[in-house]
Amino acid sequence: MAYFILKRLVQSIFVMLAVAFLAFSLFRFVGDPVSQMTGVETSVQDQEQLREELGLNDPFLVQFYRFTADMVQGDFGFSYRTRQPVSEMIASRIPATLELGLVALMISLIVGIPAGVYTALRPRGIATQAILMTTLVGVSIPTFVIGIVLIFLFGVQLGWLPTFGRSGTVDLGGWSTSFLTLDGWRSLILPAVTLGVYQLTLTMRLVRAEMMEVMRSDFIRFAIARGIPFRSLYYRHALANTMVPVITIIGLQFGGVIAFSIVTESVFQWPGMGLLFLESIRFVDIPVMGVYLVVIAFFFVLVNMLVDMLYLLIDPRLRVKEAV
Amino acid sequence: MINSTHWRTTVLASTIVFAASAGYSETFRWASTTDPQTMDPHAVNSTPVLSFLNNIYEGLVRRDRDMAIEGSLAESWEPLEGENGWRFNLRQGVTFANGATFNAEDVLFSYERASNEVADVRSWFAPVSEVRVVDDYTVDFITAAPNPLFPDSIANFMILDKDWAETNDAALPARDSENFATMNVNGTGPFTLQSRDPGVQTILVPNAQWWGEVEHNVTEAIFTPIGNSATGLAALLSGEIDFIQPIPLQDAAQVEERDGFKVLEGEETRVIMFGFGHEHDQLLYSTDVTDVNPFQDVRVRQAAAHAIDMDAIDRVIFRGKIEAASQLVPEGISGYSEPNATRLEYDPERAKALLAEAGYPDGFSFGLKCTNDRYINDEALCRAAASMFAAVGLNAELSTGPVRDYWPQLREDDFDMYLLGWSPGTFDMEHPIRFLLHSQDDEKNLGSWNFGNYANARVDELLPMVQEEIDPTARQAMIDEIVSITQDEVAYVPLYTQPLIWAAKNEVDLTQRADNFFILRWVTIN
Repeated sequence: MAYFILKRLVQSIFVMLAVAFLAFSLFRFVGDPVSQMTGVETSVQDQEQLREELGLNDPFLVQFYRFTADMVQGDFGFSYRTRQPVSEMIASRIPATLELGLVALMISLIVGIPAGVYTALRPRGIATQAILMTTLVGVSIPTFVIGIVLIFLFGVQLGWLPTFGRSGTVDLGGWSTSFLTLDGWRSLILPAVTLGVYQLTLTMRLVRAEMMEVMRSDFIRFAIARGIPFRSLYYRHALANTMVPVITIIGLQFGGVIAFSIVTESVFQWPGMGLLFLESIRFVDIPVMGVYLVVIAFFFVLVNMLVDMLYLLIDPRLRVKEAV
Repeated sequence: MINSTHWRTTVLASTIVFAASAGYSETFRWASTTDPQTMDPHAVNSTPVLSFLNNIYEGLVRRDRDMAIEGSLAESWEPLEGENGWRFNLRQGVTFANGATFNAEDVLFSYERASNEVADVRSWFAPVSEVRVVDDYTVDFITAAPNPLFPDSIANFMILDKDWAETNDAALPARDSENFATMNVNGTGPFTLQSRDPGVQTILVPNAQWWGEVEHNVTEAIFTPIGNSATGLAALLSGEIDFIQPIPLQDAAQVEERDGFKVLEGEETRVIMFGFGHEHDQLLYSTDVTDVNPFQDVRVRQAAAHAIDMDAIDRVIFRGKIEAASQLVPEGISGYSEPNATRLEYDPERAKALLAEAGYPDGFSFGLKCTNDRYINDEALCRAAASMFAAVGLNAELSTGPVRDYWPQLREDDFDMYLLGWSPGTFDMEHPIRFLLHSQDDEKNLGSWNFGNYANARVDELLPMVQEEIDPTARQAMIDEIVSITQDEVAYVPLYTQPLIWAAKNEVDLTQRADNFFILRWVTIN
């Protein structure tokens, strides 16, 4: 196990370096940060001097080396836009994104798994057809449209829920959480549902497909023949075997939810990392964009590693292989 | 007994009336698309920053609701006698939010800070050669040449407390990192900062020490940047915010139709125009004419101006909300040239004839560059203009992009024709002459936005004279000459003045100023 983790950690450093390199080579095409940082009356010479101070005139590899070397030493630099330390900015935005992603994932699991099991066990039922149709619609509408529809329905027309921002947070030693107040939950619901809808459909369809596959397998048939009660059959034998691929996907989905919460965060003005990234692109805030991408790559790596470790726990055969 | 009850009722009733009329505890929430980048008044010379900080910091002078200059921390000012420059007589008894007394030392310190080479606002002080403290409440700004517009040009020069800035290591603005003044304030203005969470929420509260007469009834003002315009509109319509600036043109009708909301429409001082690559020897994006640059011929530029049907653009793209422009500033700006108030009319036949005369009877193709996220409906405008150009034979190959990589492209001369919007920071015609019409001169910071390098020796000669002329009639005559020259030569094709569209709840009274600044001390909630 220790060897496995170590191996993965070494791999992940290379992944993150590769992401940083790719990101950095793309930033050359994003635009000019200096014209975003200065007003119209700033002379061309002053702009040039600022460009020199920021090291933007240096060769690409020098800039990349400086960025990586600073990162390794824990120096994340300053934002071109707000002039704040990037590490503080990212750290203050992480709780908002993680909590949003977590709740969205929970919604997708709590609704998606039972719905998947149900539709697998009653493939021809009317309710099944209805669920499948609805989720198909859910997955075909772009996220931002779902978000805007929810805002206009529950925020503007009914006035039940806030339409933007993250209110009612409580500070727990640097981690601002929405989970402890009613206001926090109220502002969390719409964005989490928006972000969760797509994941929910994926989870449900995956569980359904896997479950149907498992139900056709020999060991279930033998189990039926042995007269094992259906409840135990479905939920203990069949569902457990369904979960290995499902956990993989869920793990990857969580990475995806975090990384692609950009759209949802923008529609709801949710002050998470996605919104920060979007603002940074608009202002060509290269230090923030660079750190964001590396942090996101780190999340993906971490989540994948956790998923692999869960495999080992769930499927005994893999443990044997790993031991050998 | 009866008397006593009666008396108590009266007291109770009057208390209620008092509470209502005093507008007791009014929280005002507002949103805008852009968060001010910093709380440092000298670090970034941009509208979001200066507009926001005008509620916290004050300058020697300020602009009133109609953009006219009035005294602020200076009670009066007059030209110096015997030398070039201005004397400012400072207001006494003013304190900063932290209780420190305001005096001439703070003015001198702020001048030194704002004119330092790391300050983005230093161009305001380019004409200043020296600042002298005469006594605690008198300061002289000496200029190298006569400078009639100097007080107008420093309306956004905000004054910091010297001791506060020095004690907190903020004696200079931080250009590429943070310092104390980036997140903290200490101004003399009507409001002060209660909390700041960049990009999320900034809360202002009234400054109890403020010297001025309070016209607002706001006890707390919460600002939230909302980048997505649909989200901003929803936040207004759901009642979560009281005011938003700006809203998209196409949403104005939707807000007006709802009970309890209003749209504030006005005109910004920004003129939208097309510019040409005057200096380019050949077209970059043409498929048929590559050896010469037809736009160097004034007849071709006239043809381009005659091809634009401004009424149709107003009707179709701007829902009747724009005003056609004849020159680089709108009417009402000082220096606006009355004798040159007519624009080249829409006349496609004339345009075709001019093109034929210039040797292009079948027209030619060229590249037109536009932004798609900088000005109101910029991309739609360019599409419409491109089809109008095509109707006379000017086949524009349109390319649009975000503003973040637009300016670098223009600076690299990568265009045949381009879109530009200009708002004169000083509210005087001298500003666009300096930046758009004077030939490029990096040393003197002249013509820095004159991408096509339009050059006319007479214009270059007149600009310094305009800057130094004290007599308003003589000055206007020189400006009229410049406007006339550049109109005849079609240096640019001015299109229209950009509209300002804000939206608010009905019970909010506020003032829309033409520079798109939002001034909190003019807000009352009924």
